[in-house]
Amino acid sequence: MANYFNTLPLREQLNQLGVAEFMSNDEFADGVDALKGKKIVIVGCGAQGLNQGLNLRDSGLDISYALRKEAIEQKRDSWKNATDNNFKVGTYDELIPTADLVINLTPDKQHTSVINAVMPLMKQGATLSYSHGFNIVEEGMQIRKDITVIMVAPKCPGSEVRAEYVRGFGVPTLIAVHPENDPEGKGFDQAKAYCVGTGGHRAGVLNSSFVAEVKSDLMGEQTILCGLLQTGSILSFDKMIEKGIDAGYASKLVQYGVEVVTEALKHGGVTGMMDRLSNPAKIKAYKVAEELKQIMRPLFQKHQDDIMSGTFSRVMMEDWANGDANLLKWRAETGETAFEKTPAGDVKIGDQEYFDNYTLMVAFIKAGVELAFETMVEAGIQPESAYYESLHETPLIANTIARKKLFEMNRVISDTAEYGCYLFDQACKPLLGDFMKTVDTDLVGKNYNEGKDGSVDNQELVEINEAIRNHPVEIVGRKLRKAMTAMKAIKTA
Amino acid sequence: MALLNIENLFVHYGLKTVLHNLSFTINAGEGWVIRGESGSGKTTLGKAISGQLRSTGQLKIDFNPQSPLPAEVLFVESWYRFTNLEGDRNFYYQQRYNHYQRKDTSTVAHELEQYGKEHSLSNARLEELLTTLNYHEVLDEQLFEISSGEHKKLQLVKALWLQPQLLIIDQPYTGLDVRSRANLNTLLNQYTTAGGALLLISNDMELPECGTHFITLEAGRIVPADKALYLKEQIAKPLPTFLLSPPQYTSQDIISMHDVAVRYDEKYVLSDIHWQVKAGERWLLQGPNGSGKSTLLSLITADHPQAYANHITLFGVKRGDGESIWDIKKRIGLISPELHWYFDANATVSQSLASGFFDSNGQYQKLRYAQKQQLEELLKFLNLFDVRNELLTTLPLGKQRLALLGRTIIKNPQLLVLDEPCQGLDHQQTRYFNHLVDTISKNGVTIIYVGHFESQLPACLTHKLVLAQGKMVVNESY
Repeated sequence: MANYFNTLPLREQLNQLGVAEFMSNDEFADGVDALKGKKIVIVGCGAQGLNQGLNLRDSGLDISYALRKEAIEQKRDSWKNATDNNFKVGTYDELIPTADLVINLTPDKQHTSVINAVMPLMKQGATLSYSHGFNIVEEGMQIRKDITVIMVAPKCPGSEVRAEYVRGFGVPTLIAVHPENDPEGKGFDQAKAYCVGTGGHRAGVLNSSFVAEVKSDLMGEQTILCGLLQTGSILSFDKMIEKGIDAGYASKLVQYGVEVVTEALKHGGVTGMMDRLSNPAKIKAYKVAEELKQIMRPLFQKHQDDIMSGTFSRVMMEDWANGDANLLKWRAETGETAFEKTPAGDVKIGDQEYFDNYTLMVAFIKAGVELAFETMVEAGIQPESAYYESLHETPLIANTIARKKLFEMNRVISDTAEYGCYLFDQACKPLLGDFMKTVDTDLVGKNYNEGKDGSVDNQELVEINEAIRNHPVEIVGRKLRKAMTAMKAIKTA
Repeated sequence: MALLNIENLFVHYGLKTVLHNLSFTINAGEGWVIRGESGSGKTTLGKAISGQLRSTGQLKIDFNPQSPLPAEVLFVESWYRFTNLEGDRNFYYQQRYNHYQRKDTSTVAHELEQYGKEHSLSNARLEELLTTLNYHEVLDEQLFEISSGEHKKLQLVKALWLQPQLLIIDQPYTGLDVRSRANLNTLLNQYTTAGGALLLISNDMELPECGTHFITLEAGRIVPADKALYLKEQIAKPLPTFLLSPPQYTSQDIISMHDVAVRYDEKYVLSDIHWQVKAGERWLLQGPNGSGKSTLLSLITADHPQAYANHITLFGVKRGDGESIWDIKKRIGLISPELHWYFDANATVSQSLASGFFDSNGQYQKLRYAQKQQLEELLKFLNLFDVRNELLTTLPLGKQRLALLGRTIIKNPQLLVLDEPCQGLDHQQTRYFNHLVDTISKNGVTIIYVGHFESQLPACLTHKLVLAQGKMVVNESY
């Protein structure tokens, strides 16, 4: 299979990369009508599969689950999830031929084998839905021409998709139709109806494309979301140990700090996060972030280039073919870092202390979010898509680190994200070697304001505040956050 | 020597003085009861004594070093919070009905085991408590799966197992069935006999014999009991006009259940349920803690996935016929302890009431003009207009409950599901609310009302369903 994106002429590449339209509420006035009475079969019943299915059924749609024969015979968790909630469950052979819409919610890596098994069974003119476009765009999967191919991608974990729905709200969602597979022109209406069925229409919907979703998703997860959080966490921890900060304190500060800091990011963007700092700390964090951006920009650009050219996915798929040799090796190495092995100490760290004593992480996150956003936009991705794949998702990933450190983050994210994360981390650490030599405990481990008189230069502060507020990620972010203000706050530790 | 000596005690929240110049003394072995209407400062006093709030004046606790009881003060909150295994509180109230293989909270047994270890407590004593409170059955359940009454019992088991020298319990009876209350009173009597000093925050009438000392609070001051405002009858106001018109019924059959069963793995929570509710009927639903009441109601309010596997017809439409849960919810006004528990912590009083128009937990949609009028009328009627812009969670518990009651009636629905609506309300508020239910019922609304105590029910009820261990034991006219 050839990389789909690479088969396109440049103008069509740019055309598909540039699809990003923030949809207005009245575009969803038809509700779930386009799928009403249709047979919907979900393949896979993990967290996304189960929770999306519960929502769709509660919206009045006809849902059943197709699972592999072995999963049913051995009564695996996916089978239990579906049957315990009284869904109809059957094998591919039993259910796929009846389906008007097949929703593929299996892990990325299984897509090729799942689609190869499912496609011959699908009836003429049916629809196939994905929640991630890797299989279509990077692996170049060719779908039968009579089949409509759509994407509906809730930008939150499955449990959140359910929790927000039953509260009467939803999570931000991305929808798309694959231009090569829309023979009847019905794809968009069905994608909208599916989105309404999960509640996504209440929280802001971005009309995107398979290409834009994949190229921005890969970029976000490798750089700011997973890669930089991993690098920043490990370097911060090691620095504190080197400087004699208590190991338990350091471990706790790093484990929970990124969650607390990014909670501010979620509510008020980079501006909101920076405003949690004192004025002197803010000015320092701003300058450190500028320095970090300068150091890391070539690395961010390299990742974006490798994603665009298909180099990244080719190399990763070679590792798949090699039994995940690299992935498993790097995963084991991450489990062995000092940060991972030092339990969080039994100390109380207040909400504000996470900002005051971990100003370095604020700078890391500001630099990472802005760099990822800028690099994506330079590469032809629209600001709305770039926002979702950088700033929006950062608190969600930070949440997994707070649970069980980097091991948990790498367990929860997809293998694709994990692979990219390790690549970034390995390149970024040496890149920051000289910079880290300049870092002292006022930036990480102790209160930045301690022993300083708190004075700042008025003009400098005004200029820095303006620079923070007028960054393009802040401008688009203010618009998009307005649509999801009602989302429940992610808890803090 | 007195165990607790309070003289000229004040508590301030910002500029507001919430407790004024309190003085009293409590000795070991005494049972005290703090009464007063919602917002009078009862909980604040409990928190001040346990050191959770800053106070001025004298607050002296002299533990007896000779006492076999641990030298500790324990304040048992009326509001029980639990976290999942990752220390997270991100739950939603329907969660216990959805089945997902990965377990997120710990079990009741595990929770108790941890607690016992932490405080080095004897397992023999725990056995006794579990038996008296009839609590063995829920030990293997996940924390988020147990009912509100069972959560209350868990708090009580912990407190009585620890037996500190000074024990303060805020709303000890909330959600407990009749038998559990009597059993609790026995345990409380034993506790004071063993030398414990007990402070109950409660307006209940069925108190333990050891409760012989009373403090009545009014606006943060101690007043003589007979002068207390909370005993006075509230003057009835005329009902808002929109509640006078009869609900628009789409079918005379509101609920029809045929051979309904709900089970998790091999454990049946409900079985053999055959139940018909016609338009305009007003049902009392009763049963001991854990008998399946909440599960039965969740099938009606479209919160339970197993509704799809049963013969249930709601408002004339069979479940699973392509209706959405929002089509069902828009015909129902619901209040339950669980709904309150998981309610949006960022909502103002006004938003909380208004969310009843949309059946959402928190308000995300704009109100039309007529809805705004209705909201204002109702806020005034419930005496909540002045606090309409406050966060719901900052009001005293009783007032929060009143606001959520307003949420259930704001759209004048066909069916009111009132699951222990007066839990946490004092006697005056309970009478007031039940009077309100009686008045509203005249417009012909259908009602399902869950309440444990015959003395605390509205007069309008016409039918009665009683559950025991998931089965119907009474199904009759009332």
